[in-house]
Amino acid sequence: MRIFVRLRPAVINGLRELQANKVRSLLSMSGIILGVASLVAMVTVVEGMMGNFKQFVDGMGGLEKITVERQSLPKDQEHLAALSESITLRDVDQIRATIPLISNISPEVSVGWEKIVYEGREAVTSILGCTPDYLPVARRWIDPGQGRFISDLDILYRTDVVVLGASIATDLFPPNVDPLGKVIRVKGKRFVVVGLLNKINGSNGMFSRWRNNGVFIPVTTATSKFTGNNHLTALGLRIADANDLQYAVDQVERSLLQMHHGLKDFSINTNEETLESFRKTQSAFKLSLGGVAAISLFIGGIGIMNVMLASINERIREIGVRKAVGARGSDLFLQFLAEAAVISVMGGVIGLSVSMGIVWLMNYILTQAIPSMALSTLDWKIMAQGLGFSVIVGLVAGVYPALRAAKLDPIEALRHE
Amino acid sequence: MGSLVTIRGLHKAYPMGDETVHALDGVDLDFDRGEYIAILGPSGSGKSTLMHILGFMDQPTAGSIIFEGEEVSSLGADRRAWYRSNRVGFVFQSFNLLPRLTVLENVALPLLYREDSDRKANEAAAKHALERVGMSHRLEHRPTQLSGGERQRVAIARAIVGKPSIVFADEPTGNLDVKNVDRILDLLGSLLAEGITVIVVTHDLGVAARARRIISMRAGKVQEDRRQ
Repeated sequence: MRIFVRLRPAVINGLRELQANKVRSLLSMSGIILGVASLVAMVTVVEGMMGNFKQFVDGMGGLEKITVERQSLPKDQEHLAALSESITLRDVDQIRATIPLISNISPEVSVGWEKIVYEGREAVTSILGCTPDYLPVARRWIDPGQGRFISDLDILYRTDVVVLGASIATDLFPPNVDPLGKVIRVKGKRFVVVGLLNKINGSNGMFSRWRNNGVFIPVTTATSKFTGNNHLTALGLRIADANDLQYAVDQVERSLLQMHHGLKDFSINTNEETLESFRKTQSAFKLSLGGVAAISLFIGGIGIMNVMLASINERIREIGVRKAVGARGSDLFLQFLAEAAVISVMGGVIGLSVSMGIVWLMNYILTQAIPSMALSTLDWKIMAQGLGFSVIVGLVAGVYPALRAAKLDPIEALRHE
Repeated sequence: MGSLVTIRGLHKAYPMGDETVHALDGVDLDFDRGEYIAILGPSGSGKSTLMHILGFMDQPTAGSIIFEGEEVSSLGADRRAWYRSNRVGFVFQSFNLLPRLTVLENVALPLLYREDSDRKANEAAAKHALERVGMSHRLEHRPTQLSGGERQRVAIARAIVGKPSIVFADEPTGNLDVKNVDRILDLLGSLLAEGITVIVVTHDLGVAARARRIISMRAGKVQEDRRQ
């Protein structure tokens, strides 16, 4: 309570000094303003980028997804290429039977980008042969009233059914036509539309557009009608718990090597690698930008110290008068520390508003470049941290000048011209 | 009138280059409450040093000072600050008002540093002190808007706002025109009625002549102590 009584006039005094020396104070604040603004804006934008990326990884099936893809043999196995059978449905059965960690396995055959036709309307899209397990592995579904996905019977009987991605359905059919039950031509062959895949409304426009593309047919139909062999392009595997990822990857690799007689004609990829590399980028960003902010804040501190020393030099007589009428060293210490704190808090507040401007501008530029990219939003925690840093810098920078003021001899100070 | 200050064998020595300057060289003095004293002497006589030590701005090298019955010759800095804000007031030749503060705030300044500082009470006391010196019509003015005489009256208000035992006036009329000199000296003289001891430090015989007791100093010693 006592300290508060002493602090009040000190802060009022600091505000007055600020008002009396506007330009000088503003200049001395510039370092703090820059430091806080860059700190808050950069952390916010990096966080926003990270948010975008997490969304991207989620769209790719999340961390619980493992992708096995066909790959040419490594150099030391090249002479055995003739023995390579590629990935087949036998592998799928083997994994399903022997690796309980894998909860779903989706064999996929990519037929490629092909033309599809409905009554003269055309679209070009990717055609994927798959099984019912595609849905849980890719985290997709079919909304009620939008038909069904490929069934086990479709796989067994190699039926000519097709499920359309949401954007393909709107590209290919007029708005007043229900695509369900209609016959379309895929690469010249007749298919019946049995379902529409759920529509993804991501804030990431390009990405969700790509995700809403594509048509899906039974994997057995794809191999018998289009590719002509039993080679699978990829396997999508889903595990129940992301913590088991590494075990699952190891087991899948061992199982496949065994099935493929030791030939490494496949690669195993997880989203963790992508996420990890982004995390590294993120921390590198944070470190370098944090360094820039730290340097600005440091320079800001020097600026404040400088202006405080100048101010004390000009006011030696005032210090003498205050001491003569009864101010203790600690009173003057508090007064000048409060002045430094006032400058830095003001700088911090201005810096925060500047950072809002920067974030707004960055969002504007990014959304111009990539429409409907996720926006970065200011987090009050980061703002509070920025303000806290500026206060700390102000206080640290104020200590030495304030100590000098406190230690001045009143008689010498009063004689000062 | 009771005894206010008793000084015995007061010494103050400064190192100056290789030599030691004896600003005060064995001073013995007694001051009573309500006395009007002038300390007279040329520069370098030790009169300013005596004022600084008696005004709790400086410490003696040796000797004893009994102030209101207590030995105060070797107090720490904070304790001396307490005496400055509670027991003494200063009036300077160059007024020494703070330019950024209003008249009222300047006068209230000594109370700000007291333990029991309270904004409302400080303001009331400052207003009262300004009334006492006839400056209550200029509360919200800045010192630069006042004439020299007015500034010195504000400075006197600041010196008496804390109801001190002693007011020190260091060449209080040195920067004033003739018309204002009398007014300020009258004002200082009127403080005696309130039991305040007024000590005017000056080298002006005319100013000193107003006091009832003139102490002449030379080379750090009391040369003459005359009551009139």
